Amino acid sequence: MNKRRKLLYIVIVIIIVSYFSYNYIYQDHRDIKTETAKVEVTGAELLEMFKENESPGVLNSTVQVFGIISELDSHSITIDGSVHCSFDEEVQGVNLNDLIKIKGRCIGYDYLFDIVKIDQSTIIK
Amino acid sequence: MRNRVIVFLYFFSVFISVNAQNKFTTKSGELNFEASVPSFVEVIAKNKNVSAILLDNGDFAILALVNGFRFKVALMEEHFNENYVESVKYPKTTFSGKILDFNVSDLSEKEITYTISGVITLHGVDRSLEVPVSIIQKNNSIVLTSNFVLKPEYFNIKIPKIVNNKIAEEINVSVSFNLTKLNSLDYE
Repeated sequence: MNKRRKLLYIVIVIIIVSYFSYNYIYQDHRDIKTETAKVEVTGAELLEMFKENESPGVLNSTVQVFGIISELDSHSITIDGSVHCSFDEEVQGVNLNDLIKIKGRCIGYDYLFDIVKIDQSTIIK
Repeated sequence: MRNRVIVFLYFFSVFISVNAQNKFTTKSGELNFEASVPSFVEVIAKNKNVSAILLDNGDFAILALVNGFRFKVALMEEHFNENYVESVKYPKTTFSGKILDFNVSDLSEKEITYTISGVITLHGVDRSLEVPVSIIQKNNSIVLTSNFVLKPEYFNIKIPKIVNNKIAEEINVSVSFNLTKLNSLDYE
């Protein structure tokens, strides 16, 4: 009886440990759409942040950027010629020169084009 | 007098067209790498926001933001950024070089293989690289693709012992750029 109980405890512990380690290893990706933005700035302001410091606090954070659409592609929108926002889905229902607000994850500064890049974007309005 | 102005304008325009260097660019190129080991979880990362600029003399530059690499497993992405490539300290990886014997007028829908030679910078370490690239021209764009192998040790990236047997020693890198023409005169 005692032996069986011991075995039962061991099995339970193993199940619990593997449950938590599985959840740790295969934890979900961040959901940028539902994250609260760390800052809300214009395209030019975000670019300025990266000019002052190569890795400002907003790197890898969710940010909200607003401004005029200066370039438009099937999967990307450029705001104020300074922030390139890429979308996982096709961009629809917007036009060049529209005023727009976009939420996404800031991935860094690109000196080839002098722009800041954002991925996993969603249009706020 | 008027004729002189016309002659001047004529030569001036010829001068411009000779000097205008064509630029082919993209901000959404793809750079993927795979370091999977059979029978373990696959290690694949994709970055679809890679910038590249090609000049018609063959000069070629690439910039990939390290934070832009996305993995299937979220924890892998976190470890890659925090422990392996240290993306806060080294937020970008770049390549700058030249496509040898490149001539835009040779391009067609038939694939041509060139050699590209240059320097790749990753994790603060420079390393020279010479690999083949395939190029085709489709309508108004130039499609450039390449596959090559890199090793983490080239860039002073240390893989912890505990995961050593789950990450391949040789990393297969593949790049693909769909470059569209941008005239340097209206670039600035």
